Amino acid sequence: MLKPKVNFTDNDFVEGLKVGDDQVLKALYKKYYNLVLKLVVSNNGSSEAAQDVYQETIIILYEKCQDPEFKLSCQLQTYVYSVARNLWLKHLKKHGKTGELKEYHQDVFEDVSSDTKTHLKKEESIDKVYKSLEELGEPCASLIKDFYIKKMNMEDISEKFGYTNADNAKNQKYKCLQRLKRLYFDNFTIVD
Amino acid sequence: MRTVDLFDNYLEGKLSAQELAAFELRMSSDPVFEKAFEEHKTLISILNSGNERQVLKNKLKHIHSVQFGKEAKIISINKPEKLTKRIGKTFMVAASAAVIAVISTIALLSTGGYLLKKQDSKITDLGLEVAGLKSSQNAIVRKLNSKEDKPFAAANLEGSAFALNNNGYVITSWHMVNGADSIFIQNSSTERALTKIIFNDPALDIAILKIENPAVSKGWQVPFTFNSRSAEVGEEVYTLGYPRQDVVYGEGSLSSLTGYSNDTAMYQVSIPVNPGNSGGPVLDSQGNIIGVIRGKITTAEGTGFAVKSTQIIRSIASVEGDSAKSELIVNSTRSSLKKLKRSEQIKRIDPYVFNVLVYKNN
Repeated sequence: MLKPKVNFTDNDFVEGLKVGDDQVLKALYKKYYNLVLKLVVSNNGSSEAAQDVYQETIIILYEKCQDPEFKLSCQLQTYVYSVARNLWLKHLKKHGKTGELKEYHQDVFEDVSSDTKTHLKKEESIDKVYKSLEELGEPCASLIKDFYIKKMNMEDISEKFGYTNADNAKNQKYKCLQRLKRLYFDNFTIVD
Repeated sequence: MRTVDLFDNYLEGKLSAQELAAFELRMSSDPVFEKAFEEHKTLISILNSGNERQVLKNKLKHIHSVQFGKEAKIISINKPEKLTKRIGKTFMVAASAAVIAVISTIALLSTGGYLLKKQDSKITDLGLEVAGLKSSQNAIVRKLNSKEDKPFAAANLEGSAFALNNNGYVITSWHMVNGADSIFIQNSSTERALTKIIFNDPALDIAILKIENPAVSKGWQVPFTFNSRSAEVGEEVYTLGYPRQDVVYGEGSLSSLTGYSNDTAMYQVSIPVNPGNSGGPVLDSQGNIIGVIRGKITTAEGTGFAVKSTQIIRSIASVEGDSAKSELIVNSTRSSLKKLKRSEQIKRIDPYVFNVLVYKNN
């Protein structure tokens, strides 16, 4: 019996993530989960923690792949293991647990520490923006999301929120955005 | 225009050449303006990355629950044996228990799939209870079969299938033919014909069968084509299948581009589907195949799921290095059904939709 292609190469995975192929994402997720599970669980972690670490790892890889220039400089398995390991070490350190790590992969690619650092820093900024949005409350939070994330036009937004016209909606969005900037930036630059 | 609107228009590439030149000039000559723009750009980009991460996180959570969580199960919709037609009065009560047993065991056995969540404890429980009944149900089936005076023994499972191309290949659901000893297809224009499994993709739950006797598919002119593009929500769709001995038509609309738990390989359709519809085609109003019926949700009537034609094309195309591959193509000659009335379409399609009969030992 014939089978569909299931054995993706490292390159297939990277190319698939670049174009956002869900089947590739699924296959990738399946492939290294057990490795990361073993690593975390045998180093003082729960399976829930393993799941979190693994999903962070995949997100890091996914976002790296969005850069068209990105190329793997080691085996994919080594990369995944190294990122997960680095994230888990950070977690252990944060909770004051240090000591020898039980390893499950021969090679560790040390360069990943800059990737995880960038990732976590970005996560912090995202948290701060979304917390600020929450603080703004409604309708501001939805107004800003609809315009900047969903890319709705002002006519539709005006209708959705019941403003009399698009200009009014735009005015509201402006006020909300100024408030968001005030919350997010310590000193934001005012131009008008 | 407010400066913020100017920033937005610049980021979206909406400035005219003249405005753009003015914008760039100001950027290079006015540091306050430049700083305000950088802040604006940063904030918008963080907003969007946050959203993208959230979407990705949700996808990964879903993959995890499907692949590693035990909470997901499918209810597949093969038709159990046609017991009711064959049983005498004495067997009526026992037989209805057997029908339930067959359906529910299928639900339990197909854990590779994606429907039903664990919290649906009603169904899980029923399944477990029923597992105990299985051996007695088999006994009843054997007893009934021995009384059979028809030329063929009753099949263990029945469902639907339809032609893949003119070379005698048909497509159906993998969950139906998995583990079969022999598989036959038949319809009003094709007599019972033996097939063998040529290809399977358990992840998509599809199988491709080949009719053993080439004479059966001689002169086939498959009228429909497999849609290589995604269908759209709200489109009118219909299916033909064999929930009973004769072909049955069902219509509805495409209700979602994702299946159960946002499975992107499936569509959700509002066609009433029943046991026996599994493996049948889903067609759009122009007579293009957009999917294969796979299962339904047990908690709501009229909600079916179909594997997308785009996924099927992709899966088949990924077959590597085998001579059979040259024959394993989906029909892509332009659909000859486009301008026909629905009833005319059905007349043309009907000879290429089959009742599948699956026999399994034990």
